[in-house]
Amino acid sequence: MPGIPLVDHKPAYYRSADHMCREDPCEHLSAEDQIAAEESLSIYCKPVELYNILQRRAARNPSFLQRCLQYKIQAKHKKWIQMSISLPSSVNDGPQVQNLFPLCILLVRPVNSPAVLENSSVYRFSRACFLASCTGVEGMYQDQAKFTLPEINKLSVEVESGSFIILFVSCAELFKDHMDLSSFPANVGGHCLLGKIPLELLLLSWEKSQNLSTGDRAEMLSTVDLQSCFMKALLQQLQVSIAAEELGAKWRTPYDTFSHSDIPASLLPHIIRLRTGNVVFNYRYYNNKLQRTEVTEDFACPFCLVECASFKGLRCHLSSSHDLFNFEFWVTEEFQAVNVSVKTDMWRSETVADGVDPKQQTFFFCSEALRRRKLKSLAQSSKHVHPLVLDSELPGSNLCDKIDESAERDASCPRFSSATAHSYVEPDGDQSLPGSNLPPSALLQFAKTRKLSVERSDPRNPVLLQKRQFFHSHRAQPMPKEQVLSDCDSEDEVDDDVADLEDRRMLDDFVDVTKDEKQMMHLWNSFVRKQRVLADGHIPWACEAFSTLHGMDLVQTPAVLWCWRLFMIKLWNHGLLDARSMNSCNVILEKFQDQDMNE
Amino acid sequence: MAKISLGSEPVVGSLTPSKKREYRVTNRLQEGKRPIYAVVFNFIDSRYFNVFATAGGNRVTVYQCLEGGVIAVLQSYIDEDKDESFYTVSWACNIDGTPFLVAGGLNGVIRVIDAGSEKIYKSFVGHGDSINEIKTQPLKPSLVVSASKDESVRLWNVHTGICILIFAGAGGHRNEVLSVDFHPSDMHRIASCGMDNTVKIWSMKEFWTYVEKSFTWTDLPSKFPTKYVQFPTFIASVHTNYVDCNRWIGDFLLSKSVDNEIVLWEPKMKEQSPGEGSVDILQKYPVPECDIWFIKFSCDFHYKAAAIGNREGKIYVWEIQSSPPVLISRLSHVQSKSAIRQTAMSFDGSTILCCCEDGTIWRWDVVASS
Repeated sequence: MPGIPLVDHKPAYYRSADHMCREDPCEHLSAEDQIAAEESLSIYCKPVELYNILQRRAARNPSFLQRCLQYKIQAKHKKWIQMSISLPSSVNDGPQVQNLFPLCILLVRPVNSPAVLENSSVYRFSRACFLASCTGVEGMYQDQAKFTLPEINKLSVEVESGSFIILFVSCAELFKDHMDLSSFPANVGGHCLLGKIPLELLLLSWEKSQNLSTGDRAEMLSTVDLQSCFMKALLQQLQVSIAAEELGAKWRTPYDTFSHSDIPASLLPHIIRLRTGNVVFNYRYYNNKLQRTEVTEDFACPFCLVECASFKGLRCHLSSSHDLFNFEFWVTEEFQAVNVSVKTDMWRSETVADGVDPKQQTFFFCSEALRRRKLKSLAQSSKHVHPLVLDSELPGSNLCDKIDESAERDASCPRFSSATAHSYVEPDGDQSLPGSNLPPSALLQFAKTRKLSVERSDPRNPVLLQKRQFFHSHRAQPMPKEQVLSDCDSEDEVDDDVADLEDRRMLDDFVDVTKDEKQMMHLWNSFVRKQRVLADGHIPWACEAFSTLHGMDLVQTPAVLWCWRLFMIKLWNHGLLDARSMNSCNVILEKFQDQDMNE
Repeated sequence: MAKISLGSEPVVGSLTPSKKREYRVTNRLQEGKRPIYAVVFNFIDSRYFNVFATAGGNRVTVYQCLEGGVIAVLQSYIDEDKDESFYTVSWACNIDGTPFLVAGGLNGVIRVIDAGSEKIYKSFVGHGDSINEIKTQPLKPSLVVSASKDESVRLWNVHTGICILIFAGAGGHRNEVLSVDFHPSDMHRIASCGMDNTVKIWSMKEFWTYVEKSFTWTDLPSKFPTKYVQFPTFIASVHTNYVDCNRWIGDFLLSKSVDNEIVLWEPKMKEQSPGEGSVDILQKYPVPECDIWFIKFSCDFHYKAAAIGNREGKIYVWEIQSSPPVLISRLSHVQSKSAIRQTAMSFDGSTILCCCEDGTIWRWDVVASS
């Protein structure tokens, strides 16, 4: 299992969580017990092996949960700029400025369309921020207007493609009557003062100062001229402070960037604990008496190495993808840990007895349909995910959309929404059988696992099974305990002897069919039943297998052989058998003929 | 319903007793208050031809017929379940000849009683409802067949406790099976009849390997590959109401419904198509006041005569094999007024027993003709 093994178990390390991480009592064990313990650890081998197989499949076609988590990881690594605009009270003093409030600040782009009249301009915006006072003065509205912009390189591309302007509108005139400022009124008209700063200007200054790229805050003061829309005369000046800061990248702690080589080994556990993405896995074995511990980074799953974005994501992933294990999740202030143990109750019947070819065993696959309730919640939560999908996939999306989106994000959840991943997951949902890229035995085992996982829902089942008398379903004969607990139940299988008998009896009813034809029909009927030839696509295989199985008998009774050939031609007529397969059938029959001649 | 063509009408026996043989009551026993549904002589073991068993309530009793009309009680088994009501009992035996009593009834559990050691030898569960009749294969007396309310007939090996075959399914009975009988000479054939008004003849020829296997089976009985026989070889609609008793007479069948008569008929199977065929009704044996169901007749060992009781406590003894049928005797007694459910004829027909609804057992002995 990957991850960093924690060899030294210092009690001090686990001082705050003794209940979670028990001290490994391995040294108190006798030699025999140690061997037994090692053996019991090997129960992890089989599930891990299975999950490795599944992981290979999932690499090409990741599950829904995994794709969701991937988007979250992508979003986490993305940077953006937060621009905050405020009016510092130190520079903007005086009653004149007070008269301007509430001041509305908008990030807009002008709309150039022929419909727009010559002397007016139309802007498109998505969100308005109101400033009620200068910074430092207590007010009922927010002191800063915050806008989220894309990362600086993207921003410059966006700005080049179209001009963006920060508009300052003094709404004092408009808001004389109504005091409800929670939203920008839809249709208001009146005289107001207007000032603008083109975003290009800001961008230029940000690019010049190295502050932003190094993760510092870039602050600047700028003067905005407020004009009336009708007269071009300067009416008032406003000092505006614009601060920009790159976010996203800043959330990485210094611990996140170290490499293992430059840290002394003694410090490793301590640091491991502090990294946000590190999760401690305790593997329980030997009747939960012993445990092995390892740590994974970036919320990675220790079985399939998939990164899960958050502890919650990891939780969902583990319980949905690795249901052969039991998980206990622990989150303390210092670290996040998962206790893992193997579900032992199901492995007993999982194994196929020696000498039994698993390919010969019948298996069943149960699937449960998605429930409506789940679908609904899926739709609900997809609202949060949707914009994240868009901007990562479509580079050409314009800034307005982006502002839209980030504004919405601002409003709904201040940080990246930790969309509830558990709602995407069907906890007991069975995935459909994979394609043909797995070896059959693994496929079979997989199918069996799924079947059993449905059955083993109640851990008390074995006890209940032992308590009462069970009967065979068809013959109503009492079942001894071993049969109840055994894996095989032949009750629903077709009794081939009886079916053959009945088939023969049915064919005997025909009066216009020769004996050889009846024989041929009977052979084919019982072959089809036993081999479960159900679909058209099975026919070519069935013909070849039939030729191989009955070849010798057919060759020795030419009349029946001719019936078989005619039957193949009939199949070919109906397009069920291709010429190539028919040829190979005849090759098989010829071989038998040669053999027969030689003997 | 079998069609009767002109000139081949069945011969109906005359109800005038021929007085060939005369019987008189020699004993009367009150076993209990509950009705007795079955009485049967032991024809399996020649040492015990004078031993018979009765079944009624939760009790199976073994008696011996002694000289001078004396009946001695030998054994009595009382089922642990007070509510059990045995409907049928049959004599069978182990492979080594130990006599067994096989009884079944309301509970649907077949009790195999070892009469030698006086213990329950085995209990067979499997039937889903009450058991109406159990019969023993005379040629292989460890095979018994049971007819049940669950619309099935099952073949059991009492020695190994295996349920070998189940005669039910697509071609099976569509209502309670009331009676079942082994063919006297052809071991593969059985006939069953019931509330679906039909008589069905089944062949287990193709399944005989399983019957043989059941004797050598050493594993758990429940692991035996019990087979379903779904299609009878012959289905006869001789009656228009419940058929509650049928018996083979050679290749012919005697069967009765609630129409105051026993019918002798021949099943004519078509070689080509099993399941189809016609019925030739040969003779009819009128039995007045015999119009309730679950009244069964019995024959002596050689099937010379059949005795049947009626609703009013009278017994009609018919000579079966003569044509036209001859009523040997009509037995009546002033105190016998209760319905007679079942009769039993001794090996040679000299003793007739009957068990009644009121829990009495009557013994009739033939009067030596001068």
